[in-house]
This record gives sequence, C-alpha cells and structure tokens, in this order.
Amino acid sequence: MSCAEDHCVTCGDVAESMRVLRIDTERDLALCEDETGAHRTVEIALVAPVAEGDELLVHAGTAISRAAAAVVVSP
Amino acid sequence: MRFVDEFRDAELGRALAGEILGAVEPDRHYKLMEVCGGHTHSIYKYAIDDLLPDNVELVHGPGCPVCVIPMGRVDDGIALAREDGVILTCFGDMMRVPGSDGTFLDAKAAGADVRMVYSPLDALRIAKQNPDRTVVFFAIGFETTAPSTALTLRRAKAEGVRNFLCMCSHVTIVPPLRALLESPDLRLDGFIGPGHVSTIVGVRPFEFIPADYGRPLVTAGFEPLDILQSIRMILLQLRDGRCEVENQYKRVVPYEGNRAALAVMAEVFELRPHFEWRGLGFISQSALRLSEAYADFDAELRYDVPGVRVADPKACQCGEVLKGVIKPWECKVFGTACTPEHAIGTCMVSPEGACAAYYNYGRYASEREAVAG
Repeated sequence: MSCAEDHCVTCGDVAESMRVLRIDTERDLALCEDETGAHRTVEIALVAPVAEGDELLVHAGTAISRAAAAVVVSP
Repeated sequence: MRFVDEFRDAELGRALAGEILGAVEPDRHYKLMEVCGGHTHSIYKYAIDDLLPDNVELVHGPGCPVCVIPMGRVDDGIALAREDGVILTCFGDMMRVPGSDGTFLDAKAAGADVRMVYSPLDALRIAKQNPDRTVVFFAIGFETTAPSTALTLRRAKAEGVRNFLCMCSHVTIVPPLRALLESPDLRLDGFIGPGHVSTIVGVRPFEFIPADYGRPLVTAGFEPLDILQSIRMILLQLRDGRCEVENQYKRVVPYEGNRAALAVMAEVFELRPHFEWRGLGFISQSALRLSEAYADFDAELRYDVPGVRVADPKACQCGEVLKGVIKPWECKVFGTACTPEHAIGTCMVSPEGACAAYYNYGRYASEREAVAG
C-alpha cells in the first residue's frame, strides 16, 4: 500500500486486493481493509453494486475490478 | 496472501518454464516486450528472465507513467507548487522525478507546500480541509489511474468544491505502442499486454497490433505465473503461426473493459492534440486534458503555467531504454552517475522503471553470472 515499500502501488499499474467492511451507498464509497489490516476509503462506482465482504481490486483509491476467486494456473 | 499465493507457486513456475522451453525453436531468437512497468518490476523482482531460455529476450516498454513524464512538465508542476496559496498534491514516485531545476521534493524542502497522496480522493479531502487554499492534484498515470481522477473531479463538481484543481498529465497506452511499432529500429516478436490498463479499456483496443503489425499480444496479470503463462501463450502463437490478441488475465480483465470507467473518462477528459513523452517525443492524441465541462477544475487554465520544454540530459538514454533499443545496463550513466538515489533519467526514478527495476534486482543476477563465469 505505501510508497515506502519496494515500489509505489499507485505509480505502477498495480492493484491490490481489499475486502469491503462498510458501504456508504449515498456517496459510492466503501471502507476497505487490505492484507495488512490497514483501512482505506475506496471509490466503488466502477464496480457497483458492492456488498460487505466483497473482495475488490483497488488502484489509486478506486476499485477497478472485483478480485476473482483464486484460480490455479494449469501449465 | 489472498488471490496471490496461487500465482507464485514455484513448482508450477518450473513446469511453465519447461513448457516454454518446449515451445521455442532453438535456432530462433525471440524478443518480447512487456508494455507495463508493473510487469518489468515483477520480472526483475522474481527473476523471471532466469527461468527463460537464452533465446527468449524480454524488452521493457514505455508503460511506466512516471518514466514518460518530460522534464518540462515537472517544471510546470513545480511552478504551480510555488504559487501563493497552492497546495500541490501528487503520487509518491512523482515526488522524486527530476525537472530541470530539481524535484517536487526539492520544491517542498524550499518551502512549497507539496504533499504526497495515495489517491485523488485524498487530494480532494485536503481541499475540503483547507477551503482558503487551492489544492492542485498533479495527475499522472495510464487508463488504470485516469478513472480515479475522473471520479474525483466528478465528485468535486457535484459537491461544489471550488478550490480543487487538476493538472492533468494522464496518458493513453495505444498511441505510444503504435509509435513504437512504427519505429524503424525496433524488432519485436510479440507483446505482453498491460493487465490493469486492460481492466479499464478491455482487450479490443490492442487488436490493431496483430491486425496491422503482425505481432501477437497476450494481456497478462502481474504474478510470476501470470507472466510465465503469458510468455508461453505468445510463444505458442508464434510456433503455431497464429497472430492474435489473447487474454491470460481473464480473472480480472473483461473483453470490453469497464464501461462505467470509460463513461466517466469520456465525461471528464478529452484527448490532447499531442503530448510530449520522455524519450519518445511528441505523440498525437496520446494524453488527456480536462473537457470543457470541467474547465473550472483545470489548473492549466486557472494559472499561467509556463509550458516549459526541456531537452533530456545528454547523458541520459531513457528514450532508447523506453523503446527497448538498449538494455538499462547499456546506458552510459547506468549505476554510476544515475542511481535510484541520484537519478538522472526517469527510468531510474520509479521502481517500475526498467533501470530502477534492474538496478534493484537484476544486477545481482549479472553479478552472480560474472562470479560463476
């Protein structure tokens, strides 16, 4: 999440998985939690409707997709 | 890690590497370009090229949004940051990109109010918290990031926030790819397509690459197995004489992209007639500016932005690196005058830049080889 780590997730074409904790439907915002337990407010207009517990892919504070269920790549 | 560990499985990685070895013709040299800086970072971080046969070469493309911002644009941003009452906000890596007279961080050290934000929404929050100041968001990024800026501007407009402005340097991915493909000194066999840009724009915009230029493209995810599988898919196309766009990252990328994102981008932005790219020069219709409906939020209209043009430093070969003509370590100043701590070129500033990624990870492989040799 932070730019202090090995690279800046916002500057790169990087999206990270976050879980929806609470939703503000009026403002199209959701409180989300990342892997480390950190919370952030996320724009959800691009993936609406969203429910609590959904997993989203978040880039620059905006959910750009839903995180897909784990799929094992078969070679 | 959720949705990630499965794609870092070492055993599957080795199996894929074996499949790749089986897909190549031993006498042929393959040159594949990963378009996106995120892929470059993953390739070096996980030493993916160590798993590839010697005759499969990865070339690092122009898909790092920080690396392609020209020095003059940074100077313009710094000029805005020095305006009375302005708070300039930007993403982390942008803070360290050198203009002709220092970086945003240098401007901050000299007294300008420059703040790092994680998202445009954070910048809008700062504007609401500081109604007597003007908050300028220095927006960079490809189509992955542009919807975030667009949504924030739409929110600012709806909420009547008048002290929030945007200096828009968003760029689009297709025009530089076309420019690269037109470049006479470039020889490529295929493309690893940008995964998260495609989440927004879909797969369709890349179909001109096989259709017009006869090169396959596979849209790829960012984990090691994603990248290995994509390379295998490209090599299989080449082996079988196919040439098409395929989507390895189907778990995230829909064929048509994200319609809501494309709609908000169409509302808030319009194409610039041309835009200067670091190392690549001016490319037509390759960047976005605010549309007329959002002119009130355009920092370049509100302030007298100098519009500085600055030539790249002579020693810097970012352009050739961005075009994949030379490898990072072949640049004259790589690792000596130009390091992540004291970057001359933008490819060394952002960890997604090919030079920084190689400096941070890849050079150790070279050192190992040198020791072993």
